[in-house]
Amino acid sequence: MEQHIADIGPLQLAYGLIFILVSGLASMAFSLKLEKDLLIGTVRTFVQLFIMGYVLRIVFAMSNMMVVIGVFAFMIFFAAWTIHGRVKDRQIRFFMPVFLSMIFSYFLVSYIVTAVVVNVKPWWEPRYFIPLGGMVIGNSMNAIAISLERLIRELKSRRAEIEMKLCLGASSREASQEILKNAMQAGMIPSINSMMAVGMVFIPGMMTGQILAGSDPLTAIKYQIVVMVMLSGSTALGTLLTVLLVRKRCFNKDEQLVLRPD
Amino acid sequence: MNNHTIIRLENIGFVYPEGTALFKNVNCNLMEGGFYVVRGPSGSGKSTLLRLMNRLENPSQGEIYFQDRSFSSVPVHELRRQILYIQQTPVVTDGSVKGNLLLPFSFKNNKDLALPDDDQLKKMLDDFSLDQVSLEKQARNLSVGQQQRLCLIRGLLLSPSVILFDEPTSALDDESSRIVELMAETLCHEKGKTIIMVSHREFVPRLVKPIIIDVREGGIRILP
Repeated sequence: MEQHIADIGPLQLAYGLIFILVSGLASMAFSLKLEKDLLIGTVRTFVQLFIMGYVLRIVFAMSNMMVVIGVFAFMIFFAAWTIHGRVKDRQIRFFMPVFLSMIFSYFLVSYIVTAVVVNVKPWWEPRYFIPLGGMVIGNSMNAIAISLERLIRELKSRRAEIEMKLCLGASSREASQEILKNAMQAGMIPSINSMMAVGMVFIPGMMTGQILAGSDPLTAIKYQIVVMVMLSGSTALGTLLTVLLVRKRCFNKDEQLVLRPD
Repeated sequence: MNNHTIIRLENIGFVYPEGTALFKNVNCNLMEGGFYVVRGPSGSGKSTLLRLMNRLENPSQGEIYFQDRSFSSVPVHELRRQILYIQQTPVVTDGSVKGNLLLPFSFKNNKDLALPDDDQLKKMLDDFSLDQVSLEKQARNLSVGQQQRLCLIRGLLLSPSVILFDEPTSALDDESSRIVELMAETLCHEKGKTIIMVSHREFVPRLVKPIIIDVREGGIRILP
């Protein structure tokens, strides 16, 4: 029952701009001063997505493992850079730990999903690996940013407690165990919550896309289930590795907290 | 006080992480069993001096010795057990008084120490005028003065030979301050502990003859 999705022509795409026009008029009428951002946002949406479309078309056509891995690594680099921008602290250099944790955990999870769960051959088949990998990256990126921000904030605000424990003979690990736990939880709770609400409160984007493209809803939900468990797995693994590596950098070998309060 | 040096600072320099220099070429000998009071204008580095002495900070130059062993040759947890640091504001964790007292024994580095039993803990509370406090009471519900004494007992369970007090009375009222100071004096006078105390208030000794360490302008002087 697979059928082809109706293509959108250039003129029809332009009709879409009517919605932007309505938002722009609303912004002007109520002096929201959002016209400029709206314009930039619209242009970026068009440009970025068109570039992505062409890049994906080329990557799909090349069907080369190294190219697929390269695109994947580039997406992770960009995600790590976004996290770097979101977490304000600049005392600890955490870009590399974040990048490496993401590469390791996302690659592992994406590989298991395509090679074992979906059973695609070859496992790097771009049509599967890139969109699935992209979803892992996009979703657990937030989790990592949240847990990293929490880790650093608590290590600063609970300095007296950490040093109290260090003074009584605790290792830096023991002294920051509770903070590590809080940071992990903060990062993982949203993805667990979304597992609770999926299908009841919202229809996930990927499923929507598959249904629009003519898939049987039952096929679509199976993919969605795989995506949801994959997201929990990559979120857990990614946040765990990140907070472990970054925590290590906040202490030195003499069991001193080197992260200073603001 | 005897004639053995317990802590020796040799050519110590200290620079804050942002680059401001605090100490330069500081030398001093502290004697075992002495009672030292650290004085000096605010910002002169009194707290940093104490933090250097239990290795919460590292000097940027020079070496500190504990009983003739250089700091860098002693495992840091062993050093901190021997040279106990009592923070300015007491820090207790969620849970009972007993839970707080036994906290150090939950750390891997202290697994070699025998766990004190309830009678020993109770006796310690009595000795420090906390006889009204039960072991089951929530530590956070104690007054600040009681919490400060609880923190001191918690540290003493590790049998330190030196105790560093960083303005232990700054958060306390007059009466509690006098109790803590008298306890510090008793530990020196009766147990032979070396006490190094930063104090902002006029300290009137009752049992010991304190030696003043004057900290100012990047240097340290032991006043006669």
